[in-house]
Amino acid sequence: MRIDIVKIRELARKKGWTLNALLAESGVSKTAFYHLLRKDSVLPASLRAIAGALSVRPGDFLTEEHPDVENIRRIQTLTDRIVAGKPGLDRENVRLTLLLLEEEPIQRLRRSLTRGRNIDFHED
Amino acid sequence: MIVGAAAAALQGAPIVTQDIDLWFRDIHDPGIGKALAKVGGAFVPSIGLHPPAFAGEAVRLFDIVLTMHGLGAFDEEKKHSLIVDLGRLSVRILALERIIKSKETVGRPKDELTIPVLRDALAAIEKKKALETRRGGQTARLRGKDSAKTASRRRASRHK
Repeated sequence: MRIDIVKIRELARKKGWTLNALLAESGVSKTAFYHLLRKDSVLPASLRAIAGALSVRPGDFLTEEHPDVENIRRIQTLTDRIVAGKPGLDRENVRLTLLLLEEEPIQRLRRSLTRGRNIDFHED
Repeated sequence: MIVGAAAAALQGAPIVTQDIDLWFRDIHDPGIGKALAKVGGAFVPSIGLHPPAFAGEAVRLFDIVLTMHGLGAFDEEKKHSLIVDLGRLSVRILALERIIKSKETVGRPKDELTIPVLRDALAAIEKKKALETRRGGQTARLRGKDSAKTASRRRASRHK
């Protein structure tokens, strides 16, 4: 499996980004990206070997990561970064705050009241 | 203006609360009575040691705050407030750092438990904002560089 540069540019354009803006946004260096671009296969040789032994394509046994997993990993990374800058912070408080910031304010308030009063809070 | 733990929760602080504290510039504002009438609620004036309160099912979550200890007057603190979109309406809420300051002044046992959480939340919110601003600036700079390169390429091809 190779990187399709045309497809990447097209997807970036749909977001209003150039390729360079996409790399900056995703935190991927140009060196790393062009290194991958030159490869005949971005998959590790071990995976290709397993696929070869099974006489299948690697895509037959690879699955998409659940989007929530990716989101949690992003929050964990951000938590690490914030706590590293201020070691006195409680990691759990920072992580929960970042999780709540993903929600709309009304959801945050509902959550707070639901736990505080053990009741449901309606917007209307 | 929403103050206290509910305002802190709206800003992302991971704390629980049992009510929504409302701070009014003027508790005798006729608008309060009109709003209460719309939802079938009533105003209960202060008596003895009991502060004024709201009565009625629709307003049972709301408490009236007359003063915010350790803070300035309403109009002064309004400068430290922000507007939050709650879907069908927008509300004014007191900024998290001012809520912390007030709780530090009051120093009730329950405040002492909450303050460290609020401080951590404030630090996380500020750092996240700073990182987002920095990343936004980088992207904007790169976009600028890219469009300058594109313009230069276009100029060059016109000259060919």
